[in-house]
Amino acid sequence: MADAGTAPVPSAPAPASDDVLRVEHIAKRFGPVTALQDVSLHLKKGEVLGLLGDNGAGKSTLIKIISGFQKPDSGRMFLDGQPYEPKSVDDARAKGIDTVYQDLALIDELSVYHNMFLRRERVLRPVPLLNNREMKREARRALDSIGINIPRIDVAVARLSGGQRQAIAVARTVNSASDIILLDEPLAAMGVKEGAQILDLVARLKEEGNVSIIMILHNYVQVFEACDRVNMIQEGRIALDKPTSETSVEEITNIVVDEYRRAREEEHANNAHGEHEPPSAEPPQQS
Amino acid sequence: MAGVAQESGRGPSPGQEGPAGLRRSLPTGRQVLQRLLSLREGSIIVVTIVAAVYFAINTSTFLTGANFKTLLPYFAPLAILGAGEVFVMILGEIDLSIGAMYMFAPIVFYKLDTAGLGLVPSVILALVVCTAVGAINGAFVSILGVSSFVTTLGMLFTFEGLSLIISHGTPVATPGAQVHQTTAQVHHIVNGHDIVLPEKINHIGTFAKIFGGGVYSELIWAVVIVILLQVVLTFTRWGLYTVAIGSNKIGAAEAGVKVRLVTIRNFVLCAVLAGLVGIFEAVRSQTIQPDPSGPNKILLLAIAAAVIGGTLLAGGSGTVVGALIGALFLGILEDGLILQGVNANYLLFYTGIAIVVAMTANVYVGRARRGHSSG
Repeated sequence: MADAGTAPVPSAPAPASDDVLRVEHIAKRFGPVTALQDVSLHLKKGEVLGLLGDNGAGKSTLIKIISGFQKPDSGRMFLDGQPYEPKSVDDARAKGIDTVYQDLALIDELSVYHNMFLRRERVLRPVPLLNNREMKREARRALDSIGINIPRIDVAVARLSGGQRQAIAVARTVNSASDIILLDEPLAAMGVKEGAQILDLVARLKEEGNVSIIMILHNYVQVFEACDRVNMIQEGRIALDKPTSETSVEEITNIVVDEYRRAREEEHANNAHGEHEPPSAEPPQQS
Repeated sequence: MAGVAQESGRGPSPGQEGPAGLRRSLPTGRQVLQRLLSLREGSIIVVTIVAAVYFAINTSTFLTGANFKTLLPYFAPLAILGAGEVFVMILGEIDLSIGAMYMFAPIVFYKLDTAGLGLVPSVILALVVCTAVGAINGAFVSILGVSSFVTTLGMLFTFEGLSLIISHGTPVATPGAQVHQTTAQVHHIVNGHDIVLPEKINHIGTFAKIFGGGVYSELIWAVVIVILLQVVLTFTRWGLYTVAIGSNKIGAAEAGVKVRLVTIRNFVLCAVLAGLVGIFEAVRSQTIQPDPSGPNKILLLAIAAAVIGGTLLAGGSGTVVGALIGALFLGILEDGLILQGVNANYLLFYTGIAIVVAMTANVYVGRARRGHSSG
């Protein structure tokens, strides 16, 4: 199995007063598969943290734990210095953490504005009927302020393009007035122009300084464009934690390549000794 | 398929501004039909009207008040059962146990009333039993992950069996549905002829009048329940979450929708409505028949009404009003065929063909409405 000594694994981050979120020694297994071994990270107020890692490195699992969708096997989390144990997605959201999932969590049969307000519906008083007019108006305003062009917001999202769907998922979360936003591959399925709009939006949110963002990205260039700091997950651990100003695409690439070579040599060595090590763990990919 | 979507999608596509503008001033019959077909219940509305017109032309008695009254018991119970089934089917599940609730609730009602609880409390407690069964259905499906088909099939047999055990298979008179009779001159319409005969007529109590015994009692219940549930489905969070779960269960959960709660709630609704209809029918017919064949037929007809009304078995889409129209269609079909003098042996045959035709139309219309982007 991977020896922790070869990669510089940062220990639990030193408590800092401006950390809005601290994650300490989180581990998560799915049956025989270890998704996260021991992950610690921290997020400062107003910061945009880029999360990198190969497929199956555990990024999405980590996001799902922070967002309250799954529970960790061990480890602790702190929100504004207070212990943070989300019981559900709703609970996490109530505490100010909201998420755009990789699978977008959009409901094909529902309209754009119903999707944007799912679980945050505006209702009339005293009879709790849906206030569709207000939701339409607010959804339109939210999309306009983000600069995303959705011609009709009363059509079912099934009729929209992949990029438009992504934009709606992002807009939904941004519109939720959360303190911390988790974005799981927000630029997947997006055209260049739409992707640039989302990155612009992230930059604008950063300028305003009210929200802190953790963003999973695959494209290293986009990480350097959008993020203040980058964390690299490998085999369920944080393998690198540096401000983007102090690292480079080359360094990150080298870590990945080194890891790949090391893993291959290890496997080779194990095979030579006739010891069959179980293949390196890959958590199930949520489709 | 993209071509189909473009043709019958709502609103003109931007590429056809000129000709569309000309045509809009003079809508053709085809356009009206397309507009209607783009409604979720569109195809069945058209089919139902066609069926009604056909029987109105071909029989002399179809368009009479008396026939409307004979039509009511065909479709009012189906409309209520279908309304409950729609809530389960939009989730992408199915509830077969409504047949058992339909049979079981009157027997519980009878047992409680003979134990001296009184009519209305007995009805309420019988529906509480249905609530429990619905909750068990929902819990098996949403918590244990057992398929709803299997769960509710098991419940169907279990509670039909329990009904037979408790009732010893013996029919009994429905409590509260007793009649006292007086003699009067009564008009009858027999084969279109108005005949006046001195006859004993039945007077029924207030309880019976409200709970299915009155001529329009079930119709009023059906219309009120359907309107109420359609409003719930379209204009409340409950309805929104039901559609959300049926369309994308994982996505709904990620968005924070309480999937188990909504699933259990919908199964409870379905079971309670089935129990209620069972009691209505027991009061209307004045006897409680512990025989599963009737409940099994009405269970399948209720699902047929929902499906004909445009509710997808796969979930994510459906309307309560559609189930009502589906029930009306089935009622008109059966009533009309009987009036036409069709051999009773052919009834099921024609009903079956009608269901297949209506379903095929729904698949076509459903594709056209959703457009090309969802497969």
